[in-house]
Amino acid sequence: MNAVTSGILSDVVVDTLEKLAFLFAVPLEGPAPEDTRELATVRVWFSGPICGGMQLSLSRPVLAELAGNMLGADDASALSADEQHDALRELVNVICGNLLPLIGGNTAEFHIQTPFIPAGGASGAGEFGPTNAASNLSVESGICLVALQLDGPVPAEGVGP
Amino acid sequence: MAVNVLIVDDSAVMRAMIQKTMKLSGLQLGEIHQAANGREGLETLERQWIDLVIADINMPVMTGEEMIEHMQANPNLKTIATIVISTEGSQTRIDRLQGKGVRFIHKPFSPEMIRDTVKDVLGCEVFHERSH
Repeated sequence: MNAVTSGILSDVVVDTLEKLAFLFAVPLEGPAPEDTRELATVRVWFSGPICGGMQLSLSRPVLAELAGNMLGADDASALSADEQHDALRELVNVICGNLLPLIGGNTAEFHIQTPFIPAGGASGAGEFGPTNAASNLSVESGICLVALQLDGPVPAEGVGP
Repeated sequence: MAVNVLIVDDSAVMRAMIQKTMKLSGLQLGEIHQAANGREGLETLERQWIDLVIADINMPVMTGEEMIEHMQANPNLKTIATIVISTEGSQTRIDRLQGKGVRFIHKPFSPEMIRDTVKDVLGCEVFHERSH
């Protein structure tokens, strides 16, 4: 696990949650829970100077809040599963898009594929494979776990803001 | 003058966020059209009178960059004001878009960023008096 990249990833996740959906996150105290059945999971693949993927898992009550805040809905619990999943896909898309220039350099051109909900939901999270960086956060009344998988080494000149 | 807007983004939630922000910005809105990718966006442009296009870049079927290239190649569409709202972080790609006269807003955006960019592109006269 790359501590520098994990730190950059955490900063991007915290900043995106706040600016996109007015959700405030802090580092999770203690280890991430092993039981991820209560989490909604989304995954995205990207290619370019660095190839890899990102997986994000969010507590379902926080997911409802995320979608509600993004849409300005009075009753977040009334939003459909499709709307909530769409909000989750957009969240990981924005995080990935903001992270890649920080680790790959701001002139590098990446192609970010359409984020998707993996088959099996959070229980399929184990198929994501080894991760190079991770960010485990406490968000409102739940948690947000983000894992980054890179197919090659991070170019040293690309790391950092 | 009411402004007809086309919002092109593969996320329905993001299209709703942009639409809501536009309504709150004080812009004199006419019709708001939506499309989920560049191809649908071009089809809408062929059918409807649009004054302002707001587009994402990374979309399935046809990207925003490809849609803008098609617009540039069409004399009827090339003068339509276009703003890209995207997570794009490549300065190379942003410079390429701006070279085509496109304005760029980075996601996550604030309502003020959209309002100020639309004012730059279309002028203050398309906003209600109180928002000047």
